[in-house]
Amino acid sequence: MKTRQLPVLIAALTAGALLAACSGGTKAGGSGGGSKTLTLASVDQGSVEDVVKAFEKANPGVKVRYTTSGADQYQQQIRTQLASGTAPDVMSVWPGNGNPGATVVLANPGYLRDLSDQPWAAKMPDAIKTVAQYKGKTYNAIFGQNGIGAVYNQQAMAKAGLTPPDTWTDLLAFCKAAKAKGTPAFALGNQDNWVTQLVLYALVATTVYGPDRAFDQKMQAGRATFARSQWATALDKYLTMEKTGCFQKDPLGTNYEASQALAASGKTLGIIQGNWVIALLKGKNPQGTFTLKALPATDDPSQTLIPAAAGAGYGVNAKAKNPELALKFVNFVMSPEGMTLFVKKQGGLPSLPDTGYSVDPSLAELSKFIGSDRTVPFMDQLWPNAKVQQTMLSGLQEIFSGQSTPEKLLDEMDADYKAGS
Amino acid sequence: MPKVRRARTTPPWWFALPAMLLFAFVVLVPSARGVYYAFTDWDGLDPGFSFVGLDNFSAMFRDADAVQAIWHTLLIAVAITVVQNALGLLLALGVNSAIKSRNVLRVFLFAPAVITPIVTAYLWRNLLGPDGAVNSLFGVVGLGGWRQDWLGSPQVALWSVIGVIVWQYAGYSMVIFLAGLQSVPKEIHEAAAIDGAGPVRRFWSVTRPLLAPALTINLMLSIIGGIKLFDQVYALTGGGPGHATDTLSTLIYKDAFTLGEFGYSIALAVVLTVIVAVASTGQYLVLSRNERATS
Repeated sequence: MKTRQLPVLIAALTAGALLAACSGGTKAGGSGGGSKTLTLASVDQGSVEDVVKAFEKANPGVKVRYTTSGADQYQQQIRTQLASGTAPDVMSVWPGNGNPGATVVLANPGYLRDLSDQPWAAKMPDAIKTVAQYKGKTYNAIFGQNGIGAVYNQQAMAKAGLTPPDTWTDLLAFCKAAKAKGTPAFALGNQDNWVTQLVLYALVATTVYGPDRAFDQKMQAGRATFARSQWATALDKYLTMEKTGCFQKDPLGTNYEASQALAASGKTLGIIQGNWVIALLKGKNPQGTFTLKALPATDDPSQTLIPAAAGAGYGVNAKAKNPELALKFVNFVMSPEGMTLFVKKQGGLPSLPDTGYSVDPSLAELSKFIGSDRTVPFMDQLWPNAKVQQTMLSGLQEIFSGQSTPEKLLDEMDADYKAGS
Repeated sequence: MPKVRRARTTPPWWFALPAMLLFAFVVLVPSARGVYYAFTDWDGLDPGFSFVGLDNFSAMFRDADAVQAIWHTLLIAVAITVVQNALGLLLALGVNSAIKSRNVLRVFLFAPAVITPIVTAYLWRNLLGPDGAVNSLFGVVGLGGWRQDWLGSPQVALWSVIGVIVWQYAGYSMVIFLAGLQSVPKEIHEAAAIDGAGPVRRFWSVTRPLLAPALTINLMLSIIGGIKLFDQVYALTGGGPGHATDTLSTLIYKDAFTLGEFGYSIALAVVLTVIVAVASTGQYLVLSRNERATS
């Protein structure tokens, strides 16, 4: 009998040792190392690299261990890391609410450090502050802002002999003229479902918030709905644009990448997108000139508003292994030097005034609108949960493919909104 | 006689113990602990979640997206299993014959199965675009009427996804069938030919019964693969347009990582596990009985 028990014992010990090795490894991997090491997770692929280099140069001996990933993958990873206590010291955080990595979502369970006492917190403009804060405290170092509008390919416009429209009537006439010349007005990459919302947001800014800047407060108080508001008008205008031929054929089969190629090569005269697309268009056509203009939704140009919003910023882990260095990094991002570096590389606009940043001529109109308070935040940033936006995105695809109707979509969005957080 | 007893062929049970323990700790225990969350409203983040009983499961049947995704999943699994294996068998019979360049053909047909699914999906995403190679090809050969919005039309998109997967894995099924075919002894074929059996009769009475094990493996792999399908769907259409190509796996991913509804998505995952278990055990039992009956 003794000889039988021995192998069992060995097996159990082996398994035990293996498990111990596994858990030990995880713990070792999670620690930040020496006091000169900062851990960072970022979604700013292509721009954070330069900022990290500049930060390391400004702080000799400091080493930043960072990872970058796309938004989807990042949101999945950061939630797992926060829940298991292995999150990095500094991490990308989205403004406001409405997505799984947003300020409210992460600040509510106490995962983020309060940054209200940092020098830049008081300097934030109100439009940015509302989405960087949770219950009156600042948690998100938002360094840049973006806007959505019609980005025109100047060479293609010149060739077609057309100029950007600034009223709704002109817009439809512009679409017809562009189509007649064989180059549709705008490229639309609705196969990637996040793209579907951009035209709608551009129209909603003017039709909903033009007459009523307090629409969000009314929604929150339960005194307004999507279905019985100007949202229905905006959605109708979106579909009118589609019927008028403002977009290329088969937008649902066209992805974001393909839509960029259309606008960059002049197969369409432009694209309705965020300002971030300009850098990508230039990458595809270095000789091209691209300008962002507001998308009109009424016949009074002075009414037109642009959706412009804070981009993803950085939050500090409440349980950071190296809190001093984490604050130092965040303050560097918010300094004129760090902010300019970031914003220039991303092709956006800085969130704080007086950074001495000279605006790229392609964004002059966006900058003017921001300066004269003619912007509204991206609609989802003030929604109570992530579901409203997801319902809208797949619902827009369903409307474009005849599987749903505008009335049905707005009712579903109302139901999700009312479900709360 | 102790000596006789020691000569038994089955090894003692504890030989398997280390492997079983490892499997239990790495797979079974974490999975079982995960199932617990299917009965909670956990959001993947907040430690303060509560127990909600069977709410997540009853919600599933009221959720039109989930019901639709289950149908898509079953449709994909059945379509892939039938088409991929039929095609795989035909290809195997083809390259098993004495045709020239059969070795080149074998490599050529198997090649897609070696490429990462995500890569082939991105490739096809561009080929199937409105101005992609497939539509251009139809235009050039005068079949302009066949042009489709392959991934953008809700009626066509699911079949496009199935087509891409069959394209990728038909070669894989072919290789397994080919291995089965080559184990069929030539002598039996010769004997049958002498007895006057034609090619069709020889296939039905000689090759088919001997191919039964290969068929079992192939069906099992394609059913499980079809039900669990995620990468290709996610990369090709993201489940769209709308929810027209959502499968259980893409829905699980979206509910968990986009909406933060971990409890609900784990409940969906439990349902997926049950479907896989039932389908694979069922078909294994049926086919292995057939295998015994025919061999």
